[in-house]
Amino acid sequence: MSANKESNLVQGYIELNKFCQSGDYDRALKAAGKILQIAPTEQKAFHCKIICFIQLHNFKEALAVLSNPKNVALAGDLHFEKAYVQYRLNCPKDALQTVDNAPEMTLALKELRAQILYRLEQYQDCYNLYRDIVKNTTDEYEDERKANMSAVVANLAALNPSADLPQFE
Amino acid sequence: LPPPMEAIPCKPLFFDLACNFIEFPNLDDKTGAADGKKQGAGLTG
Repeated sequence: MSANKESNLVQGYIELNKFCQSGDYDRALKAAGKILQIAPTEQKAFHCKIICFIQLHNFKEALAVLSNPKNVALAGDLHFEKAYVQYRLNCPKDALQTVDNAPEMTLALKELRAQILYRLEQYQDCYNLYRDIVKNTTDEYEDERKANMSAVVANLAALNPSADLPQFE
Repeated sequence: LPPPMEAIPCKPLFFDLACNFIEFPNLDDKTGAADGKKQGAGLTG
């Protein structure tokens, strides 16, 4: 890579980083595009581009870019992002497949998997997964997660009123 | 006179918590910020 191109690339990333941090997703998207024009194999710029599409709620475009055969190498590691986009586009079956194809079950993928199972009405599996997540996380969303678990239990109860269900205080 | 209160079933709340994991990657290695940290002594020395 020439010194000039190298310095353009660094400049591009400095600009991109600025817009990412300020949450200016439109400008960040343009900055990421500029980097990919100079260096089409820049994985991080590509990753930022996808995050921008998601933040802008342009899930369709995000999935189109992620699924484009031209971008296989760039999109290869973005299992969570792809599954999340499929989930938001109301394709929970595809999303579940993407999650289960990921090489490693990260916490992000687990959290998403639980939501997908809820969408798929697989409430027992969903409940078991939430139990596992709650046991292994401490974050600021414990109340929301508890609300999700009660939603799962409510659905289990609606399906089978005589079942022995967990109690919530 | 309002009719007496009556409990009705409602759709339970369900939050999207996975969206909190939608984050930009760290770009320090691309912007040169990582180099700067290595050279200069930071707050933690």
